[in-house]
Amino acid sequence: MTEPAAFIEYRAVDKAFGGPPVLRDLSLAIRRGEVMFIIGTSGVGKSVTIKLLIGLLRIDGGEIWFDGRRVDQLAERALVPLRKRIGMVFQSSTLFDSMTLAENVALPLRKHRRLPAPAALDEARRRLAQVYMADHAERYPAELSDGMRKRAAIARTLALDPEVVLFDEPTTGLDPVSARRIDRLIRELASRLGVTAIVVSHDLTSIFGTADRVALLYQGSVRALATPDGLRASPDPVVQQFITGQSSGPMETPGF
Amino acid sequence: MDAASPSVARRAAGWFQHRVETAGAAVLATGATARELWAIWLATCAGVARRASRRHVQGRPRGEIVRQLYWIGNRSLVFIAVTLGFIGMVMAYEACLQLSRVTGDYSQVGGQLLKLDVSDFAPTLTALMLATRVGAGIAAEIGSMKVTEQIDALRMSGVLPIDYLIVPRLLASLVMTLVLSVVGGVVMYGAGGLTAKFSFAVNPGVFFDASQVHGRHVVLMVLKAVAYGAAIPVVAGFCGLRARGSSEGVGWATTAAVIGGSLAVIVLDFVISAIALVILGGDL
Repeated sequence: MTEPAAFIEYRAVDKAFGGPPVLRDLSLAIRRGEVMFIIGTSGVGKSVTIKLLIGLLRIDGGEIWFDGRRVDQLAERALVPLRKRIGMVFQSSTLFDSMTLAENVALPLRKHRRLPAPAALDEARRRLAQVYMADHAERYPAELSDGMRKRAAIARTLALDPEVVLFDEPTTGLDPVSARRIDRLIRELASRLGVTAIVVSHDLTSIFGTADRVALLYQGSVRALATPDGLRASPDPVVQQFITGQSSGPMETPGF
Repeated sequence: MDAASPSVARRAAGWFQHRVETAGAAVLATGATARELWAIWLATCAGVARRASRRHVQGRPRGEIVRQLYWIGNRSLVFIAVTLGFIGMVMAYEACLQLSRVTGDYSQVGGQLLKLDVSDFAPTLTALMLATRVGAGIAAEIGSMKVTEQIDALRMSGVLPIDYLIVPRLLASLVMTLVLSVVGGVVMYGAGGLTAKFSFAVNPGVFFDASQVHGRHVVLMVLKAVAYGAAIPVVAGFCGLRARGSSEGVGWATTAAVIGGSLAVIVLDFVISAIALVILGGDL
């Protein structure tokens, strides 16, 4: 039960959803200010791993530490301050359908920062302008393209100036140009603002262009943890199969 | 035959064990579901208390309760009036028809029907109709928010989903179930009176007779309407929050909300009526 030195640490985490375990004895340490990519095939538990950190899902066993504090046992209301420091950009952007973009971005400002509604909306419009979405602030998510929704979702997450941002497949479904812009944004957040980024991805271009370190999840735990160059040089056939994208090889992909 | 018997016995024992295990698992799952529903109900009550104490004014945009009042109340009005009107017509017709075969004395039929309408039919039938319309709507909306991760996004925004989604619907439903029960009861009784007049020539002055209705019947109506009004959105919200997967999960949640809401209304009707009978010593 000693306090871990890393900024974020998963210790022997187990998670199952009523069937076979998704995560088994997963341990992973993330340093402050780094861009950590969590990669792996679909259904291997990448999204589950990041959702456990902020209590959107609960672990079955093990411990999770954040900034010198154990966070896996916090009650829902005790998680609110944690969710102010750790933001998340969801896979399908996940804006609230019933609100305009400005209202979407204003919601966490009102709730977490206790800003009154007009001030929150002003701040929201400024945040949207930073991602070149000022013209669309009063439109509803359903009227916009995937890339625009993704930018608005990122603006909503960054509005709270979080120390850690979790990205769940940020480039999936985007065109290559938009995807590279998202990569650049993640890189800039880390190098200019010192934001720690944990990125779930299986986009190889993103991984090798953006990551400081990469953790490959395989069969419920971390199979390889290395820099992108270290990953390329890895002799592990499972790693090689993933990063070269071969359909046949030693990798077992359940259900496919 | 000697070789076969033990294997048949073993298979039978295995089959029996499997049945027991399946039944046991179902009981355990039902217990777990009941506990979860109870937890949601408690959390909703806590949310109502937080809203009332104004420690939580930055909930949903201010008009949310008004929007829900309109959606649950005004938008259900025609549906409730039509269904309860038809039921009132059928009930009055059937009652008069049976009486015409026995005594032909229609002097009591209006008064007795009104007593039944007030103490049971108006709130219960209104709530059953609302359980389908309102329950399905709430479960579908919250369920699709769940499967598209909007509930998780709410939690990340520092919002308690129950305070934000269920509490305004609960408050609106409490008010509107009562209001619609009164409206539904009036339409039901009025339609019954017209049916009695045109089918059996019952004088409306005789039919529209409130002398049988006492304070206890009105209290019972209010109690039932409040209980149903609380149960429907909480059950529907619970089903929505449990939605898993994709659109199929939302479909299941909606179905479960309609079944669960209707069942809750029927069971509450029985429980409240039984308690009232015991308290009043059968004088209902």
